[in-house]
Amino acid sequence: MSRARAHREAWPLVAPAGLVLVVVAAVPMLYVVWLSLHDRTVFRPPTFAGLGNYARLAADARFWNALGNTLYFTVVSVALELLLGLAIALLLARAGRLRAAAYGVMLLPWAVPTVVSARMWEWIYNAELGVLNYLAGARINWLGDPLLALHAAIAMDVWKATPFVALLLLAALQGIPRDLYRAAAVDGAGPWTTFRRVTLPLLLPVMLVAVVFRTIDALRVFDAIYVLTGGGPANGTETLSIYAYKILFQTLDFGYGSALAVVVLAVTAVAAAAYARALRGGAE
Amino acid sequence: MRRAEWVGPRVRSGVVHALAALCLGALLAGCGPREVSTGHEVVVFRHPKLFGDPAALERLFAEFERESGIRVRSETLPSASDEQHLFYAINLQAGSREFDVFALDVIWVAEFARAGWLVDLTALVPDADREDLFPGPLAAVTWNRRIYALPWFVDAGLLYYRKDLLDKHGLAPPATWQALVDAARVVTGREPGLYGFVWQGKQYEGLVCNALEFVRGQGGDLPASDAARDASLRGLAFMRALVIDGVAPPFVTTLTEEPARVIFGQGRALFLRNWPYAWQLLARDGSPVQGKIGVAALPHAPGQPAAATLGGWQLGVNVHSARPAAAARVAAFLASARAQKALALAYGYAPPRRSLYRDPALARAQPFLASLREIFETARPRPVSPHYVALSQVLQSELSGVLTGERAPAAAVRAIDRAHRELERR
Repeated sequence: MSRARAHREAWPLVAPAGLVLVVVAAVPMLYVVWLSLHDRTVFRPPTFAGLGNYARLAADARFWNALGNTLYFTVVSVALELLLGLAIALLLARAGRLRAAAYGVMLLPWAVPTVVSARMWEWIYNAELGVLNYLAGARINWLGDPLLALHAAIAMDVWKATPFVALLLLAALQGIPRDLYRAAAVDGAGPWTTFRRVTLPLLLPVMLVAVVFRTIDALRVFDAIYVLTGGGPANGTETLSIYAYKILFQTLDFGYGSALAVVVLAVTAVAAAAYARALRGGAE
Repeated sequence: MRRAEWVGPRVRSGVVHALAALCLGALLAGCGPREVSTGHEVVVFRHPKLFGDPAALERLFAEFERESGIRVRSETLPSASDEQHLFYAINLQAGSREFDVFALDVIWVAEFARAGWLVDLTALVPDADREDLFPGPLAAVTWNRRIYALPWFVDAGLLYYRKDLLDKHGLAPPATWQALVDAARVVTGREPGLYGFVWQGKQYEGLVCNALEFVRGQGGDLPASDAARDASLRGLAFMRALVIDGVAPPFVTTLTEEPARVIFGQGRALFLRNWPYAWQLLARDGSPVQGKIGVAALPHAPGQPAAATLGGWQLGVNVHSARPAAAARVAAFLASARAQKALALAYGYAPPRRSLYRDPALARAQPFLASLREIFETARPRPVSPHYVALSQVLQSELSGVLTGERAPAAAVRAIDRAHRELERR
């Protein structure tokens, strides 16, 4: 069978799956983009607005605040998750018999549904009765101060997602051939040099994958923070997704809310593309 | 049989119409009303879940059906306010006929009226009713001088206080905000571990209600008119000072109704701002503060009227209803003094009619509700605007900013006014 013919015959076979993708992914996405180019509220039929909604975004202080919160949340939480995840993976790689037990305990935060863990953290952070203030012997208003609340949300995300990063890195660590370490030892490399010259370069591709996953999740963060603080106080924890939700589902301004959603999509796509490039670069 | 039930109301209503036609013939031929009970017109009523025995509502509907020949089928809404709003918006915008009469939160009437989703019900409110209704709910259902919904239940902010502690220290319930601050200072100074005043300071709709009470109690308003600007700034500065001066605990910036109610209910606060629902929970057997609490109108500045924020539910008729006449009759019945009295007796919801507060049976069965008449009389709705939901988001973040010290009151008032003007242009 010729190659061209094989391709021709493959089309009908792939078509159903392709159709499903188009219907469930492409159509809604394009619809949101289309909506974002229109003025559409509950009061009026849609009218074409061109880039009007995006111009409104540019002049909207609340949008810039939400974008800033989202980026800060993403950078800090992903960085912490990567560092902590790496440290835990390195520890676990040496843990021997304890490893199996550690797996189970570590997976718990990742396994708890986000809304449940956010409610749990709401209580942990409770200024009066929370266990955190009990342990600290203080009366810190974790969720009642804008800056503290954003960091409280970051800590919650780090607690939840670090196990995911750690497990990914642990799997990669175990895939590094022992010979390399023996060779390094023979050459007289100390632990730090071994880590820098052997472990880190071989972990890098997996670290990038972990960072891609975490970044994309963090840029879209909604449920955890929405349950923890609702975006307050003083919009101090309002992320782009929370802002988009409030505009789309509360004020029902579908055009403007869609423009916000498109920005979330664009920021995520840019981040994903940058990492994809880095991954390709690393592979060469 | 099962299958027929499953096919449900839509098919049945076709049958119902046919039967109705038959029975009309039968009626003309001398058939009595008893035989036509299956031929009744069905009106669907959407409302939030009523807390209590559902039988009371069903009895009311049965009574109405006997008198009018209209059967009411009641369906409940999701419990979260956002979801209720979204449910209505999606269905009404799509021209749904799945419900005919529906209950609306006080803040949605202008929005739904402007969207053209509500039947104009002005004709259903005769002058006698207008005089009977409290002014707050009447203002909340009026948009462009027409009435788009009928007030059903009212709600308003109240001040709960520890009667025992005020008595112990020789103090009276505070009438002014300054008196509240002074009383809180005196009592918390002598009673260790007691908070002065807990209320709803989290960034959400409840903060708007609380802040409006501080602001209006000084003679101001939000959005602020030029004349009211200074008073509004005083109100916001007072709200912030409550936290700075320690009259309210710092974590008031995270409190919603229930956490605040629980703190007060455990005997750990001198004053609480909450809605009437809290009374039952605070005064019931086993409550640590049972018999130790009192309720008063919220304080105000000297020379200013008390101004509780109004809440509650209204009844609207779906503009797409296939049975508008029957639907209007159902709405009018549910909003009648008779139905409101029955529901107040069964569920403890406060009626919006003055006359019912003079009703001896109601005063006997619900003495607490009856004591709130003066407060409902002066309760004021949040800004009546078709853009209220959008405006509220601005109010929530600006007020939260003032409360946490991120925003100066003047900057917040400017931002709120600007947002209000922009929204009204849209």
